[in-house]
Amino acid sequence: MDFRFSEDQLVLVESVRDYFSGTHGPEVLRRLDVDGNRDPAIWQALVDMGLTGLCVPEAHGGLGMGLVEAALIAAECGRVCLAEPLVDTAFVAVPWLIAKGETDKLSAIASGDHKVALPHVLNPWVADGEGKPQTSVDPLRNLAMFPASGSNDDRLLNLGALMNAAQLLGLADAMLEQAVEYAKIRTQFGQPVGAFQGIKHQLASCAVAVEFAKPVVWRAAAAMQDGLETAPVHVSHAKIAASDAAMLTAETAIQVHGAMGYTYEVDLHFWMKRSWALVGGWGDRSYHYKRLDAAVLGGSIPIGPEHTFA
Amino acid sequence: MKLGFSPEEELFRAECADWLNAQMAGEFRDIKGISTLTEKAERRKEWEQHLGAHGWGCIGWPKEWGGRGATLAEQVIFAEEYARAGVPGRVNHIGIELAGPTILTFGTEDQKKRFLPDIAAGNTIFCQGFSEPGAGSDLASVRTKGRLENGSWVVNGQKIWTSLAHISDWIFVVTRTEEGSKGPKGLTFLMMPIDQPGIEIRPIKQINGDAEFNETFFTDATCPEDSLIGAVGDGWRIAMGLLAFERGVSTLGQQMAFRNELDAIILDAKANGAASDSLVRQRLAKAEIGLRLMRYGALRMLSNTDHSKVDGAALTYKIQWATWRRNLGELAMDVLGQAGEVTDNADYEWTMLPNLFLYSRADTIYGGTNQIQRNLIAERGLGMPREPRGDV
Repeated sequence: MDFRFSEDQLVLVESVRDYFSGTHGPEVLRRLDVDGNRDPAIWQALVDMGLTGLCVPEAHGGLGMGLVEAALIAAECGRVCLAEPLVDTAFVAVPWLIAKGETDKLSAIASGDHKVALPHVLNPWVADGEGKPQTSVDPLRNLAMFPASGSNDDRLLNLGALMNAAQLLGLADAMLEQAVEYAKIRTQFGQPVGAFQGIKHQLASCAVAVEFAKPVVWRAAAAMQDGLETAPVHVSHAKIAASDAAMLTAETAIQVHGAMGYTYEVDLHFWMKRSWALVGGWGDRSYHYKRLDAAVLGGSIPIGPEHTFA
Repeated sequence: MKLGFSPEEELFRAECADWLNAQMAGEFRDIKGISTLTEKAERRKEWEQHLGAHGWGCIGWPKEWGGRGATLAEQVIFAEEYARAGVPGRVNHIGIELAGPTILTFGTEDQKKRFLPDIAAGNTIFCQGFSEPGAGSDLASVRTKGRLENGSWVVNGQKIWTSLAHISDWIFVVTRTEEGSKGPKGLTFLMMPIDQPGIEIRPIKQINGDAEFNETFFTDATCPEDSLIGAVGDGWRIAMGLLAFERGVSTLGQQMAFRNELDAIILDAKANGAASDSLVRQRLAKAEIGLRLMRYGALRMLSNTDHSKVDGAALTYKIQWATWRRNLGELAMDVLGQAGEVTDNADYEWTMLPNLFLYSRADTIYGGTNQIQRNLIAERGLGMPREPRGDV
């Protein structure tokens, strides 16, 4: 068992993070919220970096990478609260289409010309899809009531849940950072509020939750990539751990910001609302808890002293 | 110990319920069930006047000032029936529960005559100018300046989180009137008319899309010399007295509104199948326990008082209800699932339970954050040493 990422994986993540940190700050989210949520220039930049083709095989014009790399990039998308449907199209739909042997749209996806919205029976609404528009609590999320009924394919569900979990890690990281920075500059009673244990201990608890959620998500990505039979259990664990970490951090970050955290003007709410939307998608906590308890009690996770962790 | 209400109090309850239900079925049915403080503001002001005209505006006040001299138990009963009937929140909450009692307790005869009858009649809406950008939890560090000039107070500075300032007629303002003073010293409590060129109000949009709060800017704003409550430099004592009202009587009747919210969640859980989830069932049971705990806690506080103030146990009440309600918002969303985060509305407007989730994030912040409440309980209630602070 080795949780280290390869040099190539780290370079990829760093380059995407650098790009986003230079071009996709909170001012972009505020602009999109006013101007209509989608910006072709942002999408084109994602295409130019090769991200739409990240998981598309090289023969179809992509980079041919796997789910671990996709999850790492999904976390970066969460970190900047990216609104474009990159994760759904490139990290959920592409691996699913490949698994089904449907390759005809892959090159169009890699070139950025084709976006895929995937309805699933667990998701009554679909983001960036056709159908009657709905208002989401996440102001940057273009939801639609999908006209046809969705798939009930488990692999699709697992891919969606895994990638939501990965995005939630980045969202949680970003919210924690915003709250920490605020606690350093906001002074009351003659000192930064972050000097009070009542504040700093809460943020420390968030850091614990986020750091322990990360390896669980990477483990789930590797399990799916390797086609382990236990992958669905890993995915459910990842979805719950990342959801809990993100919600705790969202709620704590608002509290730490005081009344400012409750305003639309402070950027935090974009991350919080995205977290809320992603936590609900591809199976909520209750759904994934049921999969876990069924695995623990139903024997698909072997128990007893002769078995070790897998 | 004698639990329950007396037969007379139950009669009073029936009287309240009859009258409120009749209004919500009649002339004011268009405002029934509104869950924000901003919707249909003009109708809500008319409702305040209607309450006043029928003697229900401020039943806890003395009869001579437009009230009914109601006991604390009767005030709680009225608040309960008010929520049970689906009547929307009072847009003059600040006037009735904070400004009025402050004037009654600390004001001059002249000030009582000038303000109380109009507040009672619903003609004067008040808002509260306490917090500033640099003075939130640390309220004593206010910087808004007041000075006496030619028989008038002249005020400069900024207040923030002034709920409903945009529909209010008056604002009470804690100002620093002693040049160079720090902390709680040198503050004066002024009452100022809002409709004047020196006061500018800008709405603050909240995360739920509503704009109940405002920033209020004072640029050479004025009020007559006798607009102060108490003496010059006495502002902190008055403000603390007022906050005791906020933390006391005015929160005792809110359990019925909470009851409505929890009931709505239970109905949704039964309807959409969430109630079959054992985790959800236990959380619903826990919410019910928490609600009853508040109910009994409130009744206990009620029994321990001399009907004019609430005792030390009241220190624990704010953190209890705020935390309970914030958890309730999270439970509501887990029960609703994805349906809770989506609306058919083209506008960013939310129904009761999603709004509960978003709005309840503020419950543990306004009126003293949970962290401040814990300090109050530990330092004032338990007598523990004060937390180290920086140089103010």
